[in-house]
Amino acid sequence: MYACLYRPAAEDAANRLLELALHFSPAVERTSSDTVVFSIVSLRKLMGSPHQIASEICRLGYEQKLEANLAIASNPDTAILLARNCAGVILVTPGEENFKLASLPLACLFAVQTNVSLDLLETLQRWGLKTCGDLAALPEQGIAERLGATGIYLRNLACGKINRALRIPPPKTSYEERMELEHPIALLEPLLFLFSRILNELCGRLRAQSQGACALEARLELEEQKKYRCELEFPVPLTESAAMLKLLQLHLERHAPEAPILAFTLRLKTTEPRRVQHGFFLPPAPPADKLELTLARIEGMVGKQNVGAPVLLNTHRPDAFQIAPFHVPDMEMVQKSLHTETPADQQVLRLAIRLFRPALYANVKVAGTAPQGVSAPGVQGNVIRSAGPWKTSGEWWASTSWIREEWDVALDDGALYRIYQESPSREWYVYGIYD
Amino acid sequence: MANTAALLRAQELWKPASRLPLVRDEPVFLPLEVPALKRLWKKGLTRGGIAEVYGNRSSGRTSVYLHILAQVTARGEVCAVVDLHNSFHPGSAATVGVRLEQLLWVRCQGNAEHAMHAADLLLHAGGFGAVVLDLCEASARVLNRIPLSYWYRFRRAIENTPAILVVCSGIQQVKSSANSSLWLKRKALHWSGQAPFYLLRSLEFTAALRTPRAVSPPLSIRAVT
Repeated sequence: MYACLYRPAAEDAANRLLELALHFSPAVERTSSDTVVFSIVSLRKLMGSPHQIASEICRLGYEQKLEANLAIASNPDTAILLARNCAGVILVTPGEENFKLASLPLACLFAVQTNVSLDLLETLQRWGLKTCGDLAALPEQGIAERLGATGIYLRNLACGKINRALRIPPPKTSYEERMELEHPIALLEPLLFLFSRILNELCGRLRAQSQGACALEARLELEEQKKYRCELEFPVPLTESAAMLKLLQLHLERHAPEAPILAFTLRLKTTEPRRVQHGFFLPPAPPADKLELTLARIEGMVGKQNVGAPVLLNTHRPDAFQIAPFHVPDMEMVQKSLHTETPADQQVLRLAIRLFRPALYANVKVAGTAPQGVSAPGVQGNVIRSAGPWKTSGEWWASTSWIREEWDVALDDGALYRIYQESPSREWYVYGIYD
Repeated sequence: MANTAALLRAQELWKPASRLPLVRDEPVFLPLEVPALKRLWKKGLTRGGIAEVYGNRSSGRTSVYLHILAQVTARGEVCAVVDLHNSFHPGSAATVGVRLEQLLWVRCQGNAEHAMHAADLLLHAGGFGAVVLDLCEASARVLNRIPLSYWYRFRRAIENTPAILVVCSGIQQVKSSANSSLWLKRKALHWSGQAPFYLLRSLEFTAALRTPRAVSPPLSIRAVT
């Protein structure tokens, strides 16, 4: 049995109705801002018959000075229809739904089910139907032939035959856990043991709610009232605690807290999980979560600024590039771009240059303007042939300005170098090797 | 005893546990486009193996490995360069045709141990079409201290995967763990113009491929500017 409370045209109706309903059942459906439905099955042993339950609801409503319609029926939709269309208290015994609903106007069915088109109401009215009883009297097969599944649904609604579960919103899940420690922890390993337990629990909640984590925030409370906070952002939503724990471990190894830990809080930021259907004919790519761990490990060794994808800058400045964070590209997009872009001529081997970073300071013997001999750390020899000077300059308006004369020089050590003389300092540098 | 064995054979009382034939997967190759490299690697670079490119300075090592990277990225695969001495030039790579957005660059600032460890991590992560380990400017002293077990480990990590490990160095390193070793030597420089106004046109070098079974005759290859 279900009870429905309806209180039209009141600003605070929703909250007050919900408050009243929650006195009787924790399972309450908020059908709309002015209607709530709840189950009263479990109240029979406590309060007695539906009449006694109805009188108890009325008594509490009177005490709270809440004026509302109350309907009790065997299914939620019948209770809603009656509460919304009949003033006062209505009690329907099972089997009488059809009779009680018969006098209600046909339009009230469309108020309950909002996704049914109003054109259907017009059609039914053109057929001469005015009340729910008229619709319920029509043969089911005829309705199905003419109006399909929607028509059958409306007829069953008019008969009071629709049994459904209450639509109860799931309770809001918290993805934050705090733990206070009995003794301060100074070592990482026992702390990770505790992190692992908490992360397992949080990831269990994530999976139960079909969610993924896009970031992990760790707040540590240290001795001497110190605080430590770190936030790890994941490039792809993660659901496995092992990957998160490893990333957190690598971060804490690189940036260790400065005092023993008294308490900690872990919080996951949730997002939709990654649902990827890989193509049969797409090339393989590193799994994003595994790659993230690998990159974190490499960054721990060589530094974050030394790992990434090179991006050329839009300037003529020599060796102008920046390192961008590396993410696995979308393989479908890559395949599409491969078809649209014109590839470089692959039949010809292009001569590449490898650089000395920073450029090697060199002592250069000059005859006239051309270099005759080069001496720098690891580079020594007489110039056999040279080409140059190639004068370049730019960005005179910025601190990155350069003016230099470049030479390609073949030395008698067998290698071919690019060297340059900077202006105005007139100092020579070895820029790189043609290789 | 001999009689019992003969009896068993005669009456076919025993059978092998499985009649499934032992099939080895056909090796997959990465074809190269430059005609001279095609003549050396007839089918292409073997996937799931180590290819070594070694030679002195200006012998074309970098040009060859960038060409390999260009071929792999042109197939939409992701590559990585582990750069020991921070000498990789993204501008050159882009000119050769390497798609930089599909390239992971790890700069090891001269630390060979970090370079080997980073390569190990990348190979074990999987999913890369090619991983280049650039040890070109490392001194012989540093190279000789790299344990041979690293190369066995790398070979085991990538076999049965589509990845290729390209090791680029001054002297031969990988030895028996490599599927193929390409030895390069500078042959000539080609200039245009007249003295004193020259312009570098191309670098010609000799290449010979050494596989566990054979050594190819040296070929001449040109890398043009």
